[in-house]
Amino acid sequence: MSAARVVALRDLIFRWTPRDEPCVDITHLEIGAGERVFLHGPSGSGKSTLLGLLGGVLAPERGSIRFLDAELTQLGARARDRFRADHVGFIFQQFNLIPYLSAIENVLLPCRFSTRRGRRAAVRSRTWLGEAARLLRQLDLEPGLDRRPAMRLSVGQQQRVAAARALIGQPEFVIADEPTSALDAERQQAFLALLLRECSDAGAALLFVSHDRRLAGAFDRELAMPSLNRADAAREAA
Amino acid sequence: MRLSTLLIALALAVAGVAALPAEPPKHRVGDRLKQSNGGAKSGHNYQEIGWNALIPTGWDPAAPFRNMNLGALSDADVRANNALELMRKAWDEAPVEAGWNGQRVRIPGFVVPLERRDERVTEFLLVPYFGACIHVPPPPANQIIDVFPNEPVPNMRTMDAVWVIGPIEARRSEPKTSSDRRMGMGTAGYRMKAELIEPYKDR
Amino acid sequence: MQWLALAARSAWNRRLTLGLTLAAVALSVTLLLGIERVRRDARASFANSISGTDLVVGARTGPVQLVLYAVFRIGAATNNIRWDAFRAIADDPAVAWSIPLSLGDSHRGFPVLGTTPAYFEHFRYGDRRALEFSAGAPFHGLFDAVLGAEVADRLGYRRGDRIILSHGIGGAGLPEHADKPFTVVGILAPTGTPVDRTVHVSLEAITAIHLDWQGGAPVPGFSIPPQYVRKFDLSPKEITAALVGLKSRAAVFRMQRRIDDYAGEPLLAVLPGVALDQLWEVVGTVERTLLAVSAMVVAVGLAGLVAVILAGLNERRRELAILRSVGARPGDIFLLLTVDGLIVTVLGCAVGVLMLAALTAAVRPFAQSHYGLGIHLQLLSLPELRLLGAVVLVGLVASLVPGYRAYRLSLADGLTPRL
Repeated sequence: MSAARVVALRDLIFRWTPRDEPCVDITHLEIGAGERVFLHGPSGSGKSTLLGLLGGVLAPERGSIRFLDAELTQLGARARDRFRADHVGFIFQQFNLIPYLSAIENVLLPCRFSTRRGRRAAVRSRTWLGEAARLLRQLDLEPGLDRRPAMRLSVGQQQRVAAARALIGQPEFVIADEPTSALDAERQQAFLALLLRECSDAGAALLFVSHDRRLAGAFDRELAMPSLNRADAAREAA
Repeated sequence: MRLSTLLIALALAVAGVAALPAEPPKHRVGDRLKQSNGGAKSGHNYQEIGWNALIPTGWDPAAPFRNMNLGALSDADVRANNALELMRKAWDEAPVEAGWNGQRVRIPGFVVPLERRDERVTEFLLVPYFGACIHVPPPPANQIIDVFPNEPVPNMRTMDAVWVIGPIEARRSEPKTSSDRRMGMGTAGYRMKAELIEPYKDR
Repeated sequence: MQWLALAARSAWNRRLTLGLTLAAVALSVTLLLGIERVRRDARASFANSISGTDLVVGARTGPVQLVLYAVFRIGAATNNIRWDAFRAIADDPAVAWSIPLSLGDSHRGFPVLGTTPAYFEHFRYGDRRALEFSAGAPFHGLFDAVLGAEVADRLGYRRGDRIILSHGIGGAGLPEHADKPFTVVGILAPTGTPVDRTVHVSLEAITAIHLDWQGGAPVPGFSIPPQYVRKFDLSPKEITAALVGLKSRAAVFRMQRRIDDYAGEPLLAVLPGVALDQLWEVVGTVERTLLAVSAMVVAVGLAGLVAVILAGLNERRRELAILRSVGARPGDIFLLLTVDGLIVTVLGCAVGVLMLAALTAAVRPFAQSHYGLGIHLQLLSLPELRLLGAVVLVGLVASLVPGYRAYRLSLADGLTPRL
């Protein structure tokens, strides 16, 4: 098992109930350390399910999900939750933040759930708070907004705070599910640039899911859901 | 739909528990309590007694009737009523058995509360049968015990059936005035300090 | 532990809706505890109002009614008992002491009691406590009066003040015995019983003020000045009730039978402890009903709380997904939502207790002066703590419902809820 590989999926099959057709059917997928992968596909192609599998909230019927040195399919639910907390950062399309917590409190959430990430954050900046503030500055957020309740931030600001949260404590893998779809065109490019920079700074692999192929150029690799997911292709054919 | 049913059931359950009705009385007027099986329980340091044990041997309040042939009397005969009156007086002035002094006993009876501190009873009378203060003729002096619990007793109501455990003494204080002596009214009676009071349960 | 902080922040964010349900829970807790406290304090107060008295004797009414008017000055007698009937009882060899009572007049809303000095000597309350004077001494002269602590306090009387008695029980508008004022010669120390709100005068004085009255009103044109009343026979002809103490407590049943059988007049003799128990039986049903109703009110309040949390659950699904994405487990989600309801329940109880304290402080003077009831401002007693514990427990169980629902939702939604 080479240390450079972050995620390796093999012969992965998932269906919602035993009677359904498979929703996800992936023969092979590998993502290396620090690699930036662009995944596009229309809705209904199984993207969300794949993210759920990668995040460990869903368990496949068959197959293997190797994540760093761990085989996710052999871990219990609790262990998978802990694994996700320790190694994965998530950015969603919108409503990324807990509305009643401030920006910086949102960024600190992963440190509260993962001792590993908390430790790494403290290594980087001596205190969690310091590291959270540093990330927010890197992502171009004005200092005055740190303590503002998340629900009073603009969408663009919220997405940047979400990126900071995903990156604090240097997780090995960041999954971004359509993070720019709610932003307007000029902000999209800016956000993408910031995200890519911080991911490489943290040494994190990035899986970027989007339906907008115009953004794909900045990435190392581009994947299409229908060709990756045989279940999707089967659906298309049917 | 399921949820609201659950919540309504919860509310009703709470209300039902709080509204538990009082237990209906288990005894009728005149009922006496059964002694438990077996006599003395020396292992517990007290002796279980019945109310008859408190009557001195040889005292017979019905003595005036012993020699009377009721069948031979005519209706409303004065002698019959006189004998009844004599018996009533004897009943009133019943003597106590002085042998009961300081011995620890266990006796069942019904409660007539006398003194309370807040809601706890600090002194009560113990009588042998249910309704002793209501309808039936009152018991004689040697069938009433003035009980002083060591600890004030909560939740004690009139005519509760209990076991009282503790030392019993017979008090025969002398009549104080000459008129008392003439009337034969010594203050006689039994007293107990109750070390333990248990509710009476039918076995 | 962070769940508490997170739940607290979340609750604070929804403080408007949760605040309303908190108010509902608090009010219901106040109601529940208040009823329980009044019930217990009233019982204790009644039980403490008389002590060391073997029998209360009056005209043949009912035991509860007799004790209520003779001891608690509540209600009125239907009939009086004649003086010679009282003397026959008082002279009985089994009787150690007896106190005659005459009720019927009042002073500015407080009942007036005509009695003998034996009252101050033999009357006991609470745990065999005797009456004490905070000022002065028992009545001696004909128109002397001794005031209970509450009367002196509320009306601001001191020794030497003059008061006028009114005929009948009630507030204002009663005919007054204006020509025969009384002088305050003594004030009793507070007892926490109906003694505090009574004005005590001698039996002769009661006869004296009614000399020139007939049928409840002064005879027009006929008035006997106070200095001449002694020329008349002032011995009482009738009294309302009597308290009797016996030489031997065990003799009480025989004495009771003797009084009940008294040929001269229909009399009733009751043991105060037994009459109280009968009162509680009557009142007990009402008490239980009140408790049941207030328990239901609490249940309604908690049901409302649960409904509010459940209703808001849908909007929080995104929030839960975010928490799961940073590593929260479904069990954590369950805890978060359950703690939500628990926080409001506990806070509601706390606010309810505070409101109860405020209410108690406000109601105390009224209860004491109007009913002679001593309601205590006290820390929570054990039965009250048990009630509170039960409320919190029910609140916890009820909160499990949204907790469980959130748990299931979270499992189903995963990281991407389909809203």
